[in-house]
Amino acid sequence: MKAARAPLSHAFARPAREATTLAFLAELSQAMAVSLDLRTTMPELVNRVVDFMQVEGATLFLLDPATNVLECRLCIGPVDITGARLALGQGVVGRAVAANATQIVADAATDARVWRAADDASGFVTRSLVCVPLRTAHGPIGAIEIVNRRDGAPLSTADAELLELIAAPAALAINNARMAGDLIEQQRLRREFDLARRLQKSLLPKRRRDGFPVVGVNRPAHEISGDFYDYFELADGRVGFVIGDISGKGLDAALLMVRAASLLRWAGKDGIAPAAWLARANDELCETTQDGRFVCAVVGYCDRAARRVRFAGAGFPPVVVHRGGTFSDYASGGPPLGILPGVAYEEHEIALDGGTLYAFSDGATDVRDADGRPIGNAGVRDLIARHAAGAAEVRLRGLLTELKQLRLVDDTTLLIVEAPRAEAPEVLLDHRVAAAAEELRGVRAAIRRTLDAVGVEPELRDRLVLAVDEACANIIRHAYGPQRSGDIGLRILRSGPMLSFELTDAAPCVDPGKIKPKPLGECRRGGFGVALIDQVMDDWHVEPARKGQGNRLILRKRIDSIGNNEANEA
Amino acid sequence: MSVNANAVASEQRDGFILIRLSGEVDLSWSAQVRRAVLDALGGNATVGVDLSEVSYIDSSGIAALVEGFQSARAHGGRFVLVAVSDAVRAVLELARLDRVFLLVPSADAVIAAA
Repeated sequence: MKAARAPLSHAFARPAREATTLAFLAELSQAMAVSLDLRTTMPELVNRVVDFMQVEGATLFLLDPATNVLECRLCIGPVDITGARLALGQGVVGRAVAANATQIVADAATDARVWRAADDASGFVTRSLVCVPLRTAHGPIGAIEIVNRRDGAPLSTADAELLELIAAPAALAINNARMAGDLIEQQRLRREFDLARRLQKSLLPKRRRDGFPVVGVNRPAHEISGDFYDYFELADGRVGFVIGDISGKGLDAALLMVRAASLLRWAGKDGIAPAAWLARANDELCETTQDGRFVCAVVGYCDRAARRVRFAGAGFPPVVVHRGGTFSDYASGGPPLGILPGVAYEEHEIALDGGTLYAFSDGATDVRDADGRPIGNAGVRDLIARHAAGAAEVRLRGLLTELKQLRLVDDTTLLIVEAPRAEAPEVLLDHRVAAAAEELRGVRAAIRRTLDAVGVEPELRDRLVLAVDEACANIIRHAYGPQRSGDIGLRILRSGPMLSFELTDAAPCVDPGKIKPKPLGECRRGGFGVALIDQVMDDWHVEPARKGQGNRLILRKRIDSIGNNEANEA
Repeated sequence: MSVNANAVASEQRDGFILIRLSGEVDLSWSAQVRRAVLDALGGNATVGVDLSEVSYIDSSGIAALVEGFQSARAHGGRFVLVAVSDAVRAVLELARLDRVFLLVPSADAVIAAA
């Protein structure tokens, strides 16, 4: 396409010139479409313009939408003004962008629009120039300017029209490249936020299912949270707990959260009094936290049975104790952490007497009701009263679900301290079959599926299947015997890490004393069944079934890997 | 899990009888397995029981194998378990019988082992 680079000359016949221009535009558009990288798009554009339009120089200015300043991003010609900055409206370029209109300066020497600083500094003489805004649907994003025709003639309206033709695809290409850049930046930020969110989540303690007195839940309003909670056991058997809220939002608040969370855990590990615990964390945070950020928190201990709780607050919303239908508030006894070193905190020590201690970040009170008003302390109390029944996890989930249906405007974190309530075991399988050997295959398959679903590893799963199968076979052979028929009921229950296999029958009552395992490893023709059960299960026993007839055989196995591996998020 | 149907089949091999078991050996048909084992042993034969296709065995199935083992010993026969599947091996280990039986990896090894 050599012809496309041919100098533009007034001697060209009009059709020939149009053909050349079209070819040039087509080639330019194509060249710029190849790359979404402004660093290649812009030089490509400006070089081609200088070449094609036979001018001494050309410059490209882009507008920074945040500051409304025009910056020279590229400059070809005798004077390099790359980096030069103009306010909107300043000079020919500033005017072109501010007015979104092409500027033609036939005689620069006499035109007041011209910004002469560059000429004065370099000795270059600008005789004539044309500046065209780079237009997009959202207004101009910059401008392109050409200076001095090489043939000495002043730049004309025809030159301006041609530059306008060039500016249209150029604006499009630059805009595309910018949007692509923004997109990449957004994706990078998203990845980083995602990483931060996962890091934060990993700092929250795992939910405990073994009758632990503290339960927490955290719901970030955005990708990352400024809230956190924590709990841990001390060597003396007490349980320490922390709930905190970082002022502000965003990544720096999230980073402070990470630091504050580990600091508060560290400060509480020795089992010092909650007031001293807060004071220690406060002094440490004051030394290292600038920029006006601070941390609100409640820290405390309870005994494992949660009879007594000792706690202290630092600028955190009041702790609420709900006991027998009444509420008591305990305000924080000191300012937030990280503001003033050497502060003393007050603490509370209370008998819980079967009540429940609730600590909630201000995200809970800031939740908006249907009219857009924060529900406040009274609203949260209403919620607590309505969700007072059931196990702690169930209540927390209920509270959080209702808070979510209202409008969460902030990170929301709730922490409960109370005596562990006896929780009904979770029924994993409830199965009933005729007491017949032909049914055993199906029973085994059902047990296998159930154990797989809770993540029992295969080797142990197969042993448990064998043991329960042996128990069923014994019920068929010995409890019912060949003369009787009936059903076998099988329930698999989980309570924390403990799995129970409950087998019920309607056979005559069995004398537990007669069920004896035969020693394993001996070459006997029978009687391994009970020995295998003994070998696989932690314990087992037979009792009369509730209705007076029949037996209930209960086999139990504790599997720690299924007890504590739940994520902290509801 | 294996979806093999429960089956027991005996075949005469060169110098021994091979019993192939497949499926899940449990109370519902372990009596059949016991019968097949004892029939094959008959007088003083050498018997191999191929367990490669057995995906489950309970104590009644193990008892049938134990009985075969004891019967062979009492009558001067030989009783060998062939190509024991992982599922069967796990139960043999649990019952601490993995060192009581003679185990061989394939039917070709039965005569040499016996």
